[in-house]
Formats: sequence, structure tokens, C-alpha cells
Amino acid sequence: MTLTIALPSKGRMKDDAVAVFDRAGLSVSAIGNDRSYRGRIDGIDGVEVAFLSASEIARELGAGAVDFGVTGEDLVRESLPRADERVEIMARLGFGHADVVVAVPDIWKDVDTMADLGDVAADFRARHGRRLAIATKYWRLTQSFFSTRHGIQLYRIVESLGATEGAPASGAADIIVDITTTGSTLSANHLRILGDGVILKSEACLVRARKPSHDDDPRVGALIAAVRSAL
Amino acid sequence: MTQLGAPVFAADLARALEALETTRVDIPVIQPAEPFLDMAGEDLRRRIFLTESETGESLCLRPEFTIPVCRAHIAEGVATPRRYCYLGQVFRQRRDGANEFFQAGIEDLGEPDEARADARAVSDARAVVAEFAPGRALTITLGDQSVFEAVVAGLGLPAGWQKRLIHAFGNEQALRAMIARLASPGDTAAPDGAVAEFLASGDAQGLEAHIESVMEATGYSTHASRSPAEITARLMDKQALASTRLSARSLEALKAFLALDVALDHAAGALADFARDAGLDIAAAQSSFEARLNALSGRGEDLSQMHWRAAFGRPLDYYTGLVFEITAGEAGLVLAGGGRFDRLMALLGAQDPIPAVGFSLWLDRIETVRAGR
Repeated sequence: MTLTIALPSKGRMKDDAVAVFDRAGLSVSAIGNDRSYRGRIDGIDGVEVAFLSASEIARELGAGAVDFGVTGEDLVRESLPRADERVEIMARLGFGHADVVVAVPDIWKDVDTMADLGDVAADFRARHGRRLAIATKYWRLTQSFFSTRHGIQLYRIVESLGATEGAPASGAADIIVDITTTGSTLSANHLRILGDGVILKSEACLVRARKPSHDDDPRVGALIAAVRSAL
Repeated sequence: MTQLGAPVFAADLARALEALETTRVDIPVIQPAEPFLDMAGEDLRRRIFLTESETGESLCLRPEFTIPVCRAHIAEGVATPRRYCYLGQVFRQRRDGANEFFQAGIEDLGEPDEARADARAVSDARAVVAEFAPGRALTITLGDQSVFEAVVAGLGLPAGWQKRLIHAFGNEQALRAMIARLASPGDTAAPDGAVAEFLASGDAQGLEAHIESVMEATGYSTHASRSPAEITARLMDKQALASTRLSARSLEALKAFLALDVALDHAAGALADFARDAGLDIAAAQSSFEARLNALSGRGEDLSQMHWRAAFGRPLDYYTGLVFEITAGEAGLVLAGGGRFDRLMALLGAQDPIPAVGFSLWLDRIETVRAGR
């Protein structure tokens, strides 16, 4: 049976992923031309490479449509309910670092922690006639962090598909949940990460779809060992 | 009308509810999702069946009846008091159990005599459950958020703490954690230079002006979200509380109160004893608590067969006073749940405050208990 490995199809993520595979002795080449979305690992039969967008990779792993994928942990945990039952993180690859964080306007000088934010959320409706609005594209991560971890229920999510950090200043939302690498975009927009507001420290990972057929497939263990040896 | 898949007793039960001076309402299965998400919070999103209309409106299969019944009442603009009953399927995503099941219930809107309306809700629910699950041992538990609010106020706790405690009421784990935190608060981060100076000198006006000027300079609206006045007020509160601890006396009183669990015929006495021991003046809350008990006995209810658990509440901000539930068996299967939600009608857009109390019955569970399974 063919093993399918999904790799990011463009940008830094693609280059970094291919570089890790190279160091692991798994030389990836595109089939046909450079822009092809299919590839193979030189010298190894029965392994296919699919170039997909990072969020598609997370979904395809969840559906079991690919065996391995390189994608961000944030996308895995955001796209897949009960992710750990469906996929397994085999290696953290050391690139694509991004923290998913809760950030409030810096001028909210009274709000340092999630507990402060809980107070503000509890009162918000009475003061403003609406719930506290959070701009994010991370619905699932936000819900589990706010509701399960911090017991905060009274807020609304405003879907944001780009330039989330601008939402508080533009009035589209009060606070945000977003990814940040250096924090500079947040500070440039006068936002501040709460002291206990880091939801997830994410990076690119080699992720395996949990499939029974992997149990007695020697190629699976070999591939994981090779990638790990390259880190 | 017997509905497909409804328990065999559903039609009889609907008639029994209508006989309790109610008007039957029919609620469409497909509902706008906004009001549910707005009232119950974003966490509900993964527990309801959501879809979207062609024009992008967020729709859901009705997850419960109270909110749509109240919205229908507001939309019709009819006079109160008014009593509604309903029976039909509700739809929720559950990991265990069916995703669609039948509920029935009564919403009593606009009855000004709260004690009377509360007692009626409890006794209607008890009577209907007893009629349709005859001969089963039932446990009837009452709680009352307004008594907790009176205790917290009576202890003279700072306003910010009162709000936190009341907000956590009904979620026992969160409430215990909150009490522990107030008893030994951790260090709070020190505010930055300019803010710290205003706080040190107690200059609220200067602080507010400073916050306003920073907001203007950084392109933040001073009214679209939290205002400079709101941020200032909370900074001053936090400053005042930074070195305060929940006193040992208050801590003991809170713990003693939350541990109260007594038969209803002893509840008034237990509450009075507690207030005396703790040295609290909560006379107003005691008298409405007692009025409800009297109204219940006045309806012929046997108070020794019900109990009051002081920590029992629902952590939703539109519940205001009475909550109750009726359970059966060792497993405590909830057959009926109800309570007072005076804030809901205003939140849903009613022009005038409308007191409201109601309950819903879980028909599938009543069927299970009837079958003796």
C-alpha cells in the first residue's frame, strides 16, 4: 500500500519541510514540473508526496486521507475535534514557530490575566448592551481555552480571516486570539498578551494519522526515525 | 397531537400542562442561532446543530424552548401575566445519548407575586412528574441565587468580589476556586509608570484623562468598547483590593452557607440560624425565601419531601432567584429542571421588566423511569 506524506505546497513552510526531509535522507522531488502538486521520495518506492496547503494537511490527516503530514500544531488542534484521538505528533520540527495568544488593547491597564478578563466579560453585557467580542480564526482553541480552562462563557466570537490584530482598533471586536511569532505586530497595534494568555506554543510538526495499517508497516517507523535523526 | 417518535404519554402530558391554565405554543424547529449564542455563550456553539440560510443568517435546530417561547411572547406584544406550555423535540449534540429528544414545560411570564409564581412552578412540575412517573421516589432540590447574593452583600465584601462570587455561583468548582483565590490572592502585575503614579496619588480624574489621551493617540475609540472611565474605575478597585484578603470570618461564613443542605420544612430555621451565627442582616432575602415556602405549603406541598441546597444554582447570568430540579433514583436522573429568569426578557428585548419563571420536563427520561428501567 502506498504511504502518502503531505507537505506544505508553498513558501517558507515548504522549503523548511523539504530541507528537514533532505537532512533525513529523504530527498523530495516533484513529479513533472516544479509546480506540480505531487512528488516522490527519491529511491523509495511506495511513498507518495502530496503538496497541500497547511490547513488542508491538518484536515486530510484528520480524515485519514494521508498517512503523514507536516503542518502547524495550531492548525491540527484548531481543525480537528479531539485531535489526539485521530492523529499523533511524531516530531516537532523546529520551524514555523507561532504562539496562539489572547491579546487585549494595551490601554486596558486593569486587565493582566484571564481572571481579569473573566470579570470584564461578566460585566460586559450590562455595560455595553452586547457581549465581549473576540476576533479570531481559532474558534475551537478559543472556546476550549476560555470555557474549559478558565470558565469564561460570556463572549462572542467574531470570525476574522485576516488582519485580526486590527479588529480592536477598528471596533470590529474588543480583543483578539491570534498567532504571533515575535509579538511585534501586536505591539504595533497597541495590543498586549495577557500574562496567562498563551493558548498554545505551536511549531511545524511531523504528524501521523492514527491508522491501524501503520502498526505492522516497517516503513512507518523508519520514516519517523529518519526525520527524528535529522533534527 | 402525538408526534412521530414521541413517548406514548406525550399527548396526555400536553393536555395535563394545558389544564394548568396555560396556552399551548408551537415553536418552529428552525430558529435563528443568535439569541441562543448570545444568552448562553459561545460554548453552546459546539452543542447545537448550526446551519446557515442562503443569505448567511446563522440558524439552528431549537436546542431548548425557553428562549424561543419568550421571544414569541415579546414579538406578539401581548399583555402579561401569561402562562405558556410547549411540547416538542429539542436537538443537541451530545457525546452520550440521543441527539434529539422530547421536552415539555411551562413558562410563566409577568406574574408579579414572585413567591406565588415560584411555588406554582415547583408544584406544577412535581405534580406532572408524579402523575407520569407514578410511584417513583423523587428528589426535589431547590436553590436560590438571591439568598447567596444577600449573604455576599451582608458580609460587606468589596463590590468587585461580590460580582466575582455571584458570577461563579452555580459552578461549585469555580466558586471554590474563587473563594480560595480571594482568601490568598497572588501578586498582581504592577502597572506601568504613568498609570502607577496616578494610582499612587489616587488621582482618578488624571488617570482617566491619561487613558483617554493614550486611546486617542493610538487610534482607539473611547466609546466603541471599554471607556476610559470604566478602565479607570476598575484600576482603582483593583488597587484598593490589592492588599485585601477575604477575612477568616467571611471565609467561614461563606463555607458554612454553601454547605447548607436541609429539608425544606427546616430551611427557614436553618437560614435564620446561619444568619444569626454569622452575624448577618439578610432579613429581606429571608422574608422572600419564607414567603416562597409558605406559598408552597399553601398549595398543599409536603415541604419535608423537598430540600434546599444553598450552593445549588445555574451559572447563567439571566437566572436570578429560585432554581429547582426533580431527580429520580440513585443515579439522580434529572426529570425536570426549572427556575426564575427575571433578566432574560429584558436581554431578549422586552421594553419593560417582565418577571419570569418556568420549568422543562425531559420526556425520554420520564419514559425510562416509568418503564422502571
